[in-house]
Amino acid sequence: MMEIYKGVYIVGGMPLLFIKRLNALACSDLHLGYEGVMADKGIFLPKTNLSRIERMLKKGIQITGAKKLIIDGDIKNEFSKVHMEEFNEFREFVNFLKELNIEEIHLVKGNHDNFIDRFEKPFGIKIYRQEFLLDDVLFFHGEELPYSKKGRLLVMGHLHPAVGIFNSLGIREKVKCFLYGKTKDKRDIIILPAMNYFSEGIDVNMSRIDDTPIFRSMLDIWSMQVAGIDYSEAVKFGSVKELADIL
Amino acid sequence: MIRVLEQQFSVEESLDSLNLFIRKWFVSKYKEPSPPQRYSFKLIKEGKNILVTAPTGSGKTFSAFMAVLSDLMNMSLANKLEEKVYCIYVSPLRALNNDIYRNLNEPLSEIYANLNIDVKKINVGIRTGDTPTKERQKHLAHPPNILVTTPESLAILLNSPRFMENMKDLKYFIIDELHELANNKRGVHLSLSMERLAEAIGHDFVRIGMGATLHPIEDAARFLVGYDNKGNERECSVVDATWNKKLQFIAMSPVKDIMNAKDEEIEKSLYTTMNSIIKKNNTTLIFTNTRSGTERVVYNLAKRYKYGNEHIAAHHGSLSRETRLGVEEMLKKGKLKCVVSSTSLELGIDIGSIDNVIQLGSPKSVARVVQRIGRSGHGFGNPAIGEVIVTNRDDLVECSVMLDSAIKRHLDSFNTPKNALDVLSQHIVGMALNKKWDIDEAYNVIRQSYPYHTLEKQDYMSVIRYLSGMYVGLESRRVYAKIWYEEKEHSFGRRGKLTKLIYYLNLGTIPDEVSIDVVTKENKHIGNIEEEFLGRLKPGDIFVLGGRVYRFEYSRVMKAYVTDASGQAPTIPPWYSEQLPLTYELAVNIGRFRAKFTEAVSKSAKKEKRLINKLSKSTLEANKDAQKILDDMPIDANAKNSIFSYFMEQLLFAGYVPNDKFLLIEQSFDEEEERNLIIFHSLYGRRINDALSRLFGISIADRHDAEVGINITDNGFVIITPEDVKVTDKEIHKIIRELGSADLYSMLKANIRRTEMMKRRFRHCAARSFMILRNYRGIKIGVRKQHINSQAILKAVEEMDPNFPILKETYREIFDDLMDLPRTTRIIRELAEGTIGYKVISSDIPSPFSHMMLTFGEADVIMMSDRRKHLRELRKQVLARLKEMSK
Repeated sequence: MMEIYKGVYIVGGMPLLFIKRLNALACSDLHLGYEGVMADKGIFLPKTNLSRIERMLKKGIQITGAKKLIIDGDIKNEFSKVHMEEFNEFREFVNFLKELNIEEIHLVKGNHDNFIDRFEKPFGIKIYRQEFLLDDVLFFHGEELPYSKKGRLLVMGHLHPAVGIFNSLGIREKVKCFLYGKTKDKRDIIILPAMNYFSEGIDVNMSRIDDTPIFRSMLDIWSMQVAGIDYSEAVKFGSVKELADIL
Repeated sequence: MIRVLEQQFSVEESLDSLNLFIRKWFVSKYKEPSPPQRYSFKLIKEGKNILVTAPTGSGKTFSAFMAVLSDLMNMSLANKLEEKVYCIYVSPLRALNNDIYRNLNEPLSEIYANLNIDVKKINVGIRTGDTPTKERQKHLAHPPNILVTTPESLAILLNSPRFMENMKDLKYFIIDELHELANNKRGVHLSLSMERLAEAIGHDFVRIGMGATLHPIEDAARFLVGYDNKGNERECSVVDATWNKKLQFIAMSPVKDIMNAKDEEIEKSLYTTMNSIIKKNNTTLIFTNTRSGTERVVYNLAKRYKYGNEHIAAHHGSLSRETRLGVEEMLKKGKLKCVVSSTSLELGIDIGSIDNVIQLGSPKSVARVVQRIGRSGHGFGNPAIGEVIVTNRDDLVECSVMLDSAIKRHLDSFNTPKNALDVLSQHIVGMALNKKWDIDEAYNVIRQSYPYHTLEKQDYMSVIRYLSGMYVGLESRRVYAKIWYEEKEHSFGRRGKLTKLIYYLNLGTIPDEVSIDVVTKENKHIGNIEEEFLGRLKPGDIFVLGGRVYRFEYSRVMKAYVTDASGQAPTIPPWYSEQLPLTYELAVNIGRFRAKFTEAVSKSAKKEKRLINKLSKSTLEANKDAQKILDDMPIDANAKNSIFSYFMEQLLFAGYVPNDKFLLIEQSFDEEEERNLIIFHSLYGRRINDALSRLFGISIADRHDAEVGINITDNGFVIITPEDVKVTDKEIHKIIRELGSADLYSMLKANIRRTEMMKRRFRHCAARSFMILRNYRGIKIGVRKQHINSQAILKAVEEMDPNFPILKETYREIFDDLMDLPRTTRIIRELAEGTIGYKVISSDIPSPFSHMMLTFGEADVIMMSDRRKHLRELRKQVLARLKEMSK
């Protein structure tokens, strides 16, 4: 595990964050039911997203012994309704977590999570509309700025961060990554990569994302540190600016 | 059995096989049958399958149709003609279909006008993507006796039970422009359609193929007729009338000495030569190979010689349909003095009579040059006349050998994609829609098609399993499965309400292509490149676009970001994808010529050692052997001189001239860019060099753990390494030895696994296999959308099943169709064994034969001045060195 802040770790080479003082794992942007939604659009992908997510969580829980799971938005994929496949995968996913003895499941709603509140009671999970505070950690999805001024550590998703690198054959590849650094009001912030397998992410070192509202007002994207995953362990790549300069 | 016919029937015998009225009409128009017709009339009447290859405008169409019309006329007169389709005609071009439709209706109305009997007339119908719904419905109610259509429309008809009823008595199936179909997936698709049709109506039909000549012509015939249900090759007679028409052609150098002439001189002379030919003739057709070249030639001819729009016009694929039709109309009426085309006028559309064809620069294939020049001269009586004007020294040698090969009838071979699993997927879906099939029954029908005759059962079954959705869980198959498959029952059939719609809206083999915006980092739009071209670009590559030089930085969602790179030499030829690749056979023929001519020249080279500064005046006349070789070739005096001095220079400077059995490898250094160059003179054509260069590139990169650059051309390739990465001669020997016993397939597979090319080709194959639909439930899915994470999809598929049919097909397409891995493997083995010799030499200045490789030649032949600067600089250095050596 790679420690990025005191007691805050990236688990293995996975898009999973472990916060020791909360005994909680955090992840984001699962987009369950993705293949089913795509199949409705005529793209018939092999079904692999849910089983990969389950494998990663199982491993993450084994390593950390976490009892809580925070999903930082976009657990499902479709905006306008709950797709049949989303419901099925959602149910399977919650049952899977319970079998792993996860005691609390917290879900921050993301922009894809409409119509999901109805699952709160039957599935025994806690759902928050915008953000929620657990001790000193503020979880929010990231599409909008957080309202709360509380929290020493901020954790968001939504962005699907990745970095563009060139491998030894000179071929451009995207590597999913965590971004971490300070907000303009000097709080620590971590941006989680997407759990969804089919999301290749936005390469922050090559794309102009610094002029989106959230980054303009809240933090300087160029100064953020990059920790790449997709390897057996997370790897520190330096700052976004440094990476942009190399290319 | 395929039989190539040599002995034609007599005029009388041929005419006797026609119906009296058809015969009368024919004789009144054409007097007597042309050479191909003297085979075809009688054979088709006898119900024989036949393949006729002949130049365009040689009565090829009537070779097939006269006999068919004759048969139908007999039926018409006996009042036995019913509302049924008796003949299907398929061509790859809608424009050609329109021509044929007209050309059939003309004689029919003339013949019936003279007939004062009230009988049911033969009617002709046309059905393409353009045909209005009303017309299509009319065909259902009153089917035409002769149906003119395209491969795609035919595949739709196969799944129309009502229309199939009308085809029950089909007698003839004609494929036109067969050479444009037999070498690609569109033809493969058609081939399966034919077998499905024969199975559906329960009997075979007479198959008639027409087209320009192909080699090996027996394979073209096999493609046409396929195999019967016992696995025996169906019978087919082959008539190659290509050579009955006299071809008069010559390769010309526009200047006396192409080695020493200044750019302006060459360009000026190029246009003077063209114009003198244009002036001599009524109508001249010029081929330029690229679209941009076409525009430039039209512009320059118009400017220099004051031609107006009424005299000269361009014709190429980027022009609108209306513009092209307008040009074709003017040509038919004989109004244009000159038309300039990239490739679009190569096919058989009716363009009236052409007196002369000018080919500018090499069209890269013997068959193609024969076909293009064959567009001139009316009928068989008049010879086809053409000039191939060369634009540089390698082009000169290439064109000279090309025409020489044409005279000797050494054609390049074509290749039918074999066992393509994506096209197969489409047809299995179509078959399942029609009825319930026994697994083996369907397998046997499929294997009657030539491209699938060797289809492995396990590959076939993997397609069945994929289509039945077995790669996802049971609960999702409702959505995923395109066919129903029952393992125990050993059968498959239709599944799902939407499948029929999926088949209709997504069938076909031509992928949607994407045009990439080229922009600066400040988002200023510069122009567009094809996606294929982008797939070739690596960051740092320098390329030409719109006459200016840019450096490729990176790409993101359909955009390529570049910076200005004025004054630098391009590392990638422009319009790479538009450029035709040199064929293997022609490349080897050039290699053989090099060997033969070098032997003759070396005598002079020994004598000339002391007179090196008089090189340009060196003595072709004094060298009888060399003179003899060149005199036997269809080339002009300028060309002879230039070839001689080109070889002399190479021989004197490097001591070696590479050929097909001798690979010269040159170690050199690029002072300006401070990088090492390893130049491989592998003259085997671009498809092989593509694979070959990657293999050497991988080996070197692995040994040094460094990035290497690769430039690929038809004549060889260059591997570029950073200054500090020095590859020794010893290492090159070792690499060749190692490659000789390496698993090249796996090596290349690992190399291309993550490339843009792989992702794009996978997307095409997935679309053809109906895994990624272009059109679903009334929603057109843009190409942009199809782009989503091809990397992740590829990885997921790979992990799920490395032999997933779509994945397997993607690799097959790249290794067999795009590259030529089988031949590459053979060449590497021969290199390692010594059957092909090689020599590594070092020189600070690259040898003359490598100059075009380093400057990428004139990819766009007309845009000379930009790229010749570097070339001139290299040559200056060579001459200076030669002078030093002679002191």
